[in-house]
Amino acid sequence: MVSLDAHSLSARELNQAIKKAALTGSQITILNPQARHNIAVGILDSCKIDIDGSVGYYAASLMDGPEVNIDGNAGWALGENLMSGKIVLTKDAGASVAASMRGGDIVVGGNAGARAGISMKGGTLLIGGNAGFLTGFMMQKGRIVVCGDVGDAVGDSMYEGVIYVGGDIGSLGADAKIIEPSETDLIELWGLLEQSGINDRPRFRKIVSQKKLYHFDNLERLEMSAV
Amino acid sequence: MCGISGIMYKNSRHQGLAPVGNDLVRMLDSLAHRGHDSTGYTIVGENNDGQLILRIWTGESEHPDVILARAQEAVEQVGGVVNSRQAWGGFLRLNLNYEGEIPELAEAILQTEGVVIHSIGEASEVIKDVGTASDMEPRHQVGSLKGTHGIGHVRMATESKVDITHSHPFWAYPFTDVTVVHNGQLTNYHKLKRHYEDVGGYRFLTDNDSELIAVYLADKLAQGDSLTDALRYSLEELDGTFTYLVSTKDGIGVAKDRWAAKPLVTMETDDVVAVASEEIALRSVFTDQELDRAEPQENEVLTWSV
Repeated sequence: MVSLDAHSLSARELNQAIKKAALTGSQITILNPQARHNIAVGILDSCKIDIDGSVGYYAASLMDGPEVNIDGNAGWALGENLMSGKIVLTKDAGASVAASMRGGDIVVGGNAGARAGISMKGGTLLIGGNAGFLTGFMMQKGRIVVCGDVGDAVGDSMYEGVIYVGGDIGSLGADAKIIEPSETDLIELWGLLEQSGINDRPRFRKIVSQKKLYHFDNLERLEMSAV
Repeated sequence: MCGISGIMYKNSRHQGLAPVGNDLVRMLDSLAHRGHDSTGYTIVGENNDGQLILRIWTGESEHPDVILARAQEAVEQVGGVVNSRQAWGGFLRLNLNYEGEIPELAEAILQTEGVVIHSIGEASEVIKDVGTASDMEPRHQVGSLKGTHGIGHVRMATESKVDITHSHPFWAYPFTDVTVVHNGQLTNYHKLKRHYEDVGGYRFLTDNDSELIAVYLADKLAQGDSLTDALRYSLEELDGTFTYLVSTKDGIGVAKDRWAAKPLVTMETDDVVAVASEEIALRSVFTDQELDRAEPQENEVLTWSV
């Protein structure tokens, strides 16, 4: 077990120390993060990282493999581009949590800010509370689960993937539609909630792409004369 | 990118002024990575028996003392009685009694060539300079200033040149005690500025878009709107990206644009309200307590008063 005091290290020194400890698959504890940016970025080996307090922007980003527990809040872009592994945050996440994530799981215990799961390309983002404006904007693959409410323009311009919402939906984004989840969907969803220790089972609605933006739906004048 | 922060001690009017300057210096220092170009503060203290606080700067003049003396003469010629005077490095702070109209005082000062007014307030004063909070602290000792509330800004310039005049906060000429710090850009700035010049008859002291927000809000307040309503109208009428803070004699307000494009976190206890672009700034002041912070969402307006 390795314990690192973030207070006395620069972000680069801290991340180098984490990488070194991760090589041996150690359990790593980070103390005094004080909401600083770029903590646990670029960790590519499997290991377990416990962060004792709030983190700033880009925490646990560009990661492939680790399991990270953060006891506090996170700033913008927590878990950006996660390839595999798991991030569990006990409190609130800022905007753009799980931006462009490719795989793995991100669990936010509290609320998430605007653009949660923007451009997601895989994996699961689970939000215990509410999510903000433009949740799932341009998402391409993967699964977002919001147990509480979502803000306006949810699923705007999404290509693929699914968004489940347990609470109120502010409004649907362009090209998004609401469908009833299937029984298989719900079994899968409830399994996920149980695994994450979330006991409420609200009536989830499922949001997917209408796929009308895949093609232009009207022709230019010159094209019309050619038809 | 820019960084903003604000703090208000809810009971400070009854229980005595709080270390607002010191708090804001620490918050802005922790946000220095969001902008190194310039740093500025509004510190709001007590009403001082109708006295005004005037803060001016002499620009790039070679003879700042001569210009400051001329500016002070201009103040006295329109009936200002100077009670105290501090001058350093081209900056001047006057505490004065003045019975006349604010525009008349401001115009008299501006007729002195080479003078820039940073603020005229009954309780507020603007302190701004180039560099980071740490850089400017030896020159201005903002950390020693007490108050009920205040706002601050670190700037990474996008819209106008890097100098003291174009640093935040912006004072709403020619009103007292309305100042703004802004993270973002206004895209309908020129249109609105022309409107306020042509229809409202206002004069702008800079060509920075953020100055418009201060004038916009002061104009609404002068027409009798509440601060909350003025902030709400701004969500519709200002176009672009913004999270901004406004400070008045009585409190602070926040508005965040429809895209939620610029960050802000807030925390509130029974005694204090603190807001900042990033949680790191809140933690620089509240080091040993568990923080319950919230992130305002799109189109959100918040106000607090002392």
